[in-house]
Amino acid sequence: MKRRGGMVLASAVTVAAALASTAGASSTAAAQTQGISCGSTLKVAMVAPFTGGAGFLGNQQLSWAKYAVKTLAPKLGLKVSLVTGDTPVEQGPAIAQTLAQKFVSDKSVVAVIGPSTSGAVAASSQTYFAAGMSHISESATRTDLTKGATREGTPAFFRVVPGDYIQGPTDARFMISKGAKNVVLFDFQEPYSQGLSDAAAAVLKAKGVTVTRLSVSNTTTDYSSFVTKVPSDADFVFFPTQKPGDAQNFAQQLIEQGKKAKVFGGDGSNDPTQFKVPGSYVSNFAPDISGITTDKAIIAGWKNANPGQSLGSFGPPTYLAVQVALQAIKYACVAGHGQLKNRAAVWANVKKVKIPVSILGGPFRFSTKSNDPLNATFYIFQIQSDGSYKLVS
Amino acid sequence: MGGYDDELTRPLEGALEASTSEGATSPAVGRDEWVARHGDNRARRGGPLGTLEERLRVVPWWAWLTLFVTAASLVPVFSDSGYVRRVAFDIAIYMLLALGLNVVVGWGGLLDLGYVAFYGIGAYAYALLSSDHYGVHLPSLVSIPLVVVIGAIVGFLVGLPSRRLTGDYLAIVTLFFLQLFLTVTTNGDDIFGHNVTGGADGILRLDPLNLFGHNLPVSSGGGIFNVAYLYVVLAAFVVVFVALRFVNLSRTGRAWRSLREDPLAAEVMGMPVNWLKLMSFSFGAAIAALSGTFVSALNASVFPLSFSFPLLITIYTMVILGGAGSQAGVVIGAILIGTLLEVLRDPGNSRVLFYAVIVLGLLAALRLSLRLAVVLGGLFVFGLVVHVVAGSIDHGWVNGSGGSGGQVADFMARWVVVPSAPAGWISPVSYITLVVMALILTLLRGWVRLVVLVPVLYLAAFVWENVMLAHPEPTRYIILGVLLISLMILRPSGLLGEKRVEII
Amino acid sequence: MRFRDRLAIRVDTFIQLTLNGLTLGSVYALIALGYSLVYGILKLLNFAHGDVFMVGTFIGFGALRLLGGSSSPVVPVWLLLTLMTLAAMGGCALLGVGIERFAYRPLRDAPRIAPLISALGVSFFIAYSMQLMFGADLKNYDTFSMDNGALYFKGFNIGSVRVDLIRIITIGAAFVMMILLWLLVTRTRLGKAMRATSHDREAAAMMGIDIDKVIVFAFVLGSALAGAAGVLFALRIPTYATIGFLIGLKGFTAAVIGGIGSIPGALAGGLVLGFAESYTQGYVSTRWSDLFVFLILILFLLFRPQGLLGKADIRKV
Repeated sequence: MKRRGGMVLASAVTVAAALASTAGASSTAAAQTQGISCGSTLKVAMVAPFTGGAGFLGNQQLSWAKYAVKTLAPKLGLKVSLVTGDTPVEQGPAIAQTLAQKFVSDKSVVAVIGPSTSGAVAASSQTYFAAGMSHISESATRTDLTKGATREGTPAFFRVVPGDYIQGPTDARFMISKGAKNVVLFDFQEPYSQGLSDAAAAVLKAKGVTVTRLSVSNTTTDYSSFVTKVPSDADFVFFPTQKPGDAQNFAQQLIEQGKKAKVFGGDGSNDPTQFKVPGSYVSNFAPDISGITTDKAIIAGWKNANPGQSLGSFGPPTYLAVQVALQAIKYACVAGHGQLKNRAAVWANVKKVKIPVSILGGPFRFSTKSNDPLNATFYIFQIQSDGSYKLVS
Repeated sequence: MGGYDDELTRPLEGALEASTSEGATSPAVGRDEWVARHGDNRARRGGPLGTLEERLRVVPWWAWLTLFVTAASLVPVFSDSGYVRRVAFDIAIYMLLALGLNVVVGWGGLLDLGYVAFYGIGAYAYALLSSDHYGVHLPSLVSIPLVVVIGAIVGFLVGLPSRRLTGDYLAIVTLFFLQLFLTVTTNGDDIFGHNVTGGADGILRLDPLNLFGHNLPVSSGGGIFNVAYLYVVLAAFVVVFVALRFVNLSRTGRAWRSLREDPLAAEVMGMPVNWLKLMSFSFGAAIAALSGTFVSALNASVFPLSFSFPLLITIYTMVILGGAGSQAGVVIGAILIGTLLEVLRDPGNSRVLFYAVIVLGLLAALRLSLRLAVVLGGLFVFGLVVHVVAGSIDHGWVNGSGGSGGQVADFMARWVVVPSAPAGWISPVSYITLVVMALILTLLRGWVRLVVLVPVLYLAAFVWENVMLAHPEPTRYIILGVLLISLMILRPSGLLGEKRVEII
Repeated sequence: MRFRDRLAIRVDTFIQLTLNGLTLGSVYALIALGYSLVYGILKLLNFAHGDVFMVGTFIGFGALRLLGGSSSPVVPVWLLLTLMTLAAMGGCALLGVGIERFAYRPLRDAPRIAPLISALGVSFFIAYSMQLMFGADLKNYDTFSMDNGALYFKGFNIGSVRVDLIRIITIGAAFVMMILLWLLVTRTRLGKAMRATSHDREAAAMMGIDIDKVIVFAFVLGSALAGAAGVLFALRIPTYATIGFLIGLKGFTAAVIGGIGSIPGALAGGLVLGFAESYTQGYVSTRWSDLFVFLILILFLLFRPQGLLGKADIRKV
């Protein structure tokens, strides 16, 4: 019974050995001592959720990343190819670690765009840091990635968008400016929404606004009973979901049960095709770039490459992140006289990058005190009766 | 409930099964299945393969184990990529988990759908005992055995309902236990105001393994995976494998076997049925908890979402594929499925794998024969014809290509139709057509089947290239689902398992 | 606030929560019926049932799109909803038959673990196939746009709580279907055959009942009900490809609470579960409502496995 396994075991051993040897052969290894020539094709890895519930986000970001690499790299005299790693949100942050290991082992990967989700950053930042790999995120906004006594992001982590410590209070101040006296704050038992609600709650309470916190499981889609709990005199319901469809559903159920509160979504609810109940608000770290004159050429080029797709709001920060990464690589190449010693050389140059006119409007540079952008702001939009988003702050 | 009436038809079924799946020379009517199996009396496979098998069967199990572990330890020698070594570590963990599940399902005959919760409990227990969370920093040689004991106790407690519940209901209770675990860990950052489990953020900055006073750093220079962790897990694997082997050969093992064969008779004969069930639950849970500690230590973090239902299905597929009840089997199952899942992550490799599987599958089903040549040739020609026709109707229909994948992709691009801008409805329509046709194929026989096989395979290649490669996530789970269904229908004993496993 | 106002709010909240529970519970009851029908005859826990429900939601969505979408459908709204429901029922019935024929029938005489594991595989396969084809994002029927929100704004009031048309439709349709099923099972010959088969399969076969046909019929009925439940559910709540697992689990909970194998039991179980969820979310805690529901089920399974209305089973040697 057990012995019959012997033959199969033997074949399994040979298969395993074969796999190991072929896998070993496929891992590229540039000579360690000499570094990489800047004339060869360098790889930049992108870690984002391309499938799963947040897949729309990752794919938006990918289309802009590809566009940025295609248009910006030749201008800097670099040959860059983009490799991807998928972190579906349903699998939790742990998968980001295996991907980190994969990219860290590949010597020709010199920088990472992302991870897009804050949880993935927390899980993999240590690995990137130990490898000297700078990772520039275009959408990981959790506050304690760069701030606080026990920050989860390492010095190799950068982001080109402001953290939730700006978004939460910005949203709260806006609500106060609209005369809010009673606000309900939701969180979905995951890091993004909890951080946002915590930050917003602090500001609201300090201004004497009545605050109710409600916590919902991430897998719920029936909000009827939660809607019932919203007081009828509440002015706003802060609903930082990462699924715009949920925000839409919730807003409708609020109306159904006759509550007058307006829904205020975070940057995760930002999708005019799904969330379009008039009167609601969303906040986002990027303005609508179609209103920025200096971006006309970029937008035209992107639309050419991606016919029939809407601009989206997660894309442009990705463009900026790629731009920062490519610029840092260029600086490192120049400093190394056409040779890139190792990826730590790229890391050392990231913070030096200054972009006079960035795609998000205005100049871009990193703050001296942290790896966050200097003077970044959040923008607040209101949904109009025709479903379009209008900037109101 | 199906025990005794099966008895009447089983010898016949067993004989038929033996003749078709073992390749015995002639059907034996009326041979007792139990005697045949236990006496290892089976007709020898014909030809050189049979002789080889006979020769290999003489080698004792511990020799195979040594050979296997040596080969596994040599993986880091063959590849200095941290990624490959990390994957080897992941597979070693899968092997441990599969061994543990084998105890519950294969030996105890209990359908435990909450198994992953024990894995999670081990991981979280380690996190609470060796991190800054509560400031407790026990050395690993203390915390790991402690976690194993905790796992065994929790397994025992969860197994208590098994005394009163039959198989289906036990499955549901254990499934709900898993849900409970997930709910508690996800919300555990606010239990009466105390942050116990870190909630959805998980617990970070866990201590690395600390053996004999030495800290094993998680990464060795430059963030690369520290190979020492692989060796630690392999060592644990050897210990668990050998320990379980001895348990199986002991009285407990024999009691489990008779319990599986006929629970009512076992009870009537005075065996402590409940105790045996609880033991298998406990053992399985302890092994799962052990695996949890290693993963926690390596990742230096633990998150609730890592212990989800898809992981459970993955481990079940490993156990069923390898053969529930056979230790060597589930280890092989773990290796196969683990490697498969990792390969599927990369589109270039997936493509190669797909075509390799098709060719190997045809080889296995049709053997080296005229039929194989006809099918392969027909497939090749069919593909070329369709490609040419589609290309001449509209060049855009064959213009797109996967992008990555190198030479194989370029070659295949000439054969498979890959539209450059596929319409939205292509994906669902082609997929559903493929599923329906594949099901119809199972109903056909003879040469009709071969004829229909060719377009179905071509359609499968089309769907793979255009639909599934773009979405590796659902694809991997679809493959697991299909594997489970086909295994249960075609070969429930898996590769090396016992012929039947009854649940209590 | 004055005491009378506070009391009014409390009563309104209670009425609203009860209404929520009733609406959700009706859907759970329909799903529970499917589980009961199949388990009664095959003694098999059809894990894939929740995913059949999910497919129903998607078919309804597809039908909605085909008929012009929610804001400008080509047919009047009542016809639109009926067509969607019929499409979902038909499609799911077909799916149920397929599942039975290809995944369960070959295993009918195998040890019990085999069809259970096969069911797990089927569940996985269906859920992720849908995700592969249609993506993992939420699908919203956008019922709000139908007839300019008429479904939400028309209706009658209990106190100051509006019972809108959409809830009336959901609860009403569910009850009508359950009554029809009850009549089918108790008054028709096929229903009698089903009851006989669930009582004693071999005896029924010996009496000349075509077991295969009865089993297929049970699957057809159960899956059609799940499909209808899907459309009713998705009218109010967005759906996604992997929702089947959790909802199926809840449906099964309802079946067990009510007594698996019993039709009025499925109704009772569904309502009990709906109310339990609604009240714990409303009154106890939003965070731990899931936990309470699971605990209720585990307690039921441990101490009263036959449920509220089922009968205790004696195993014959």
